[in-house]
Amino acid sequence: MIKKILIVDDSPIARKMLKSCLPKDQGYEFHEAGDGKEGCEKYTQVRPDITFMDLTMPVMTGYEAIEEIVKNDITALIIVVTADVQMKAIKRVLDLGAYMVLKKPLKREEIQSVLLKVQDTLQKAE
Amino acid sequence: MDTEAQSTQDFSDEEVEILQEIMNIAFGQSASDLAEVIDTQVVLAVPFIKIMQVPELPVYIKENVKKYKQISIVEQKFWGKLKGDALLIFSSGSGKALIKMLQSDDRQGMDTGPVDILERETLMEVGNILIGACVGKLAELLHDIVTYTPPLVLVEKEYEEAITSGHYDPEKTAIVLKTDFLFERGNVSGFLFLVTSNESIKWLRDALKIFIEQYE
Repeated sequence: MIKKILIVDDSPIARKMLKSCLPKDQGYEFHEAGDGKEGCEKYTQVRPDITFMDLTMPVMTGYEAIEEIVKNDITALIIVVTADVQMKAIKRVLDLGAYMVLKKPLKREEIQSVLLKVQDTLQKAE
Repeated sequence: MDTEAQSTQDFSDEEVEILQEIMNIAFGQSASDLAEVIDTQVVLAVPFIKIMQVPELPVYIKENVKKYKQISIVEQKFWGKLKGDALLIFSSGSGKALIKMLQSDDRQGMDTGPVDILERETLMEVGNILIGACVGKLAELLHDIVTYTPPLVLVEKEYEEAITSGHYDPEKTAIVLKTDFLFERGNVSGFLFLVTSNESIKWLRDALKIFIEQYE
């Protein structure tokens, strides 16, 4: 069951856009971080069920953050949300252990079907 | 009026953040389009927005590109409700590096004419893809349609010589959207500047409001 959601993006607007696409009636607990380093720290503190991660960020990129998080938690469920949808970028994040890649700007229907898929994955893992 | 005061007057912090995010999406799109053509990853930096008076513009651009001994520039004007100038500035040697990248992909039909002409045409083509995809996506997200002038290319010039404010109206305000990029192979890097004037500001503010309302 998805309860805790971590959103890592340097843009407050991008975080707001993502949150607005998530269902309001599920009682999710949201946590936010403004760069990859803060994202790793929040991940360790919060242990979210799902993490949405941007790639192009200051201080620590999303690539580095995914690597760091997965190194410490192989079960981390990270969804990359990025404007950078180059094939090589997608392959790289999937190789690093990301669960999937979503293209910005997000659409509500798309993110809600992703949540169903994640829910299914989590149930199978339990 | 200083730049900061001007900036505060024209755009709120939230409007700047929305514009920054839209620019991020637009340049991501253009990098993706280009990567398909040249088979390399284009590494992007966080985009940056700055509002300034036009006479400050050449100084600002020169400050950003002074690390390059020489530069090549692809310039394209665009106009719709949003109108302005796109300046794509490449580091020294980028034209020749791009030619090599395209040829090493075993592409057929590459011209084998004189190097300077080939370099100009390659920069023009790559510039056209990057600028067209970026400005096009920006316009699409803001529900605008833009048209473009054909690209103009300056190859391997001293930056002092290449960047002047001659063709901008000094009375105007420029919104500069800057992003820097690096091609993973080929040692090609540079900046994309989109310079739009204060004529577009009112429309842009309204368009940003409409854009973010769908996420309220």
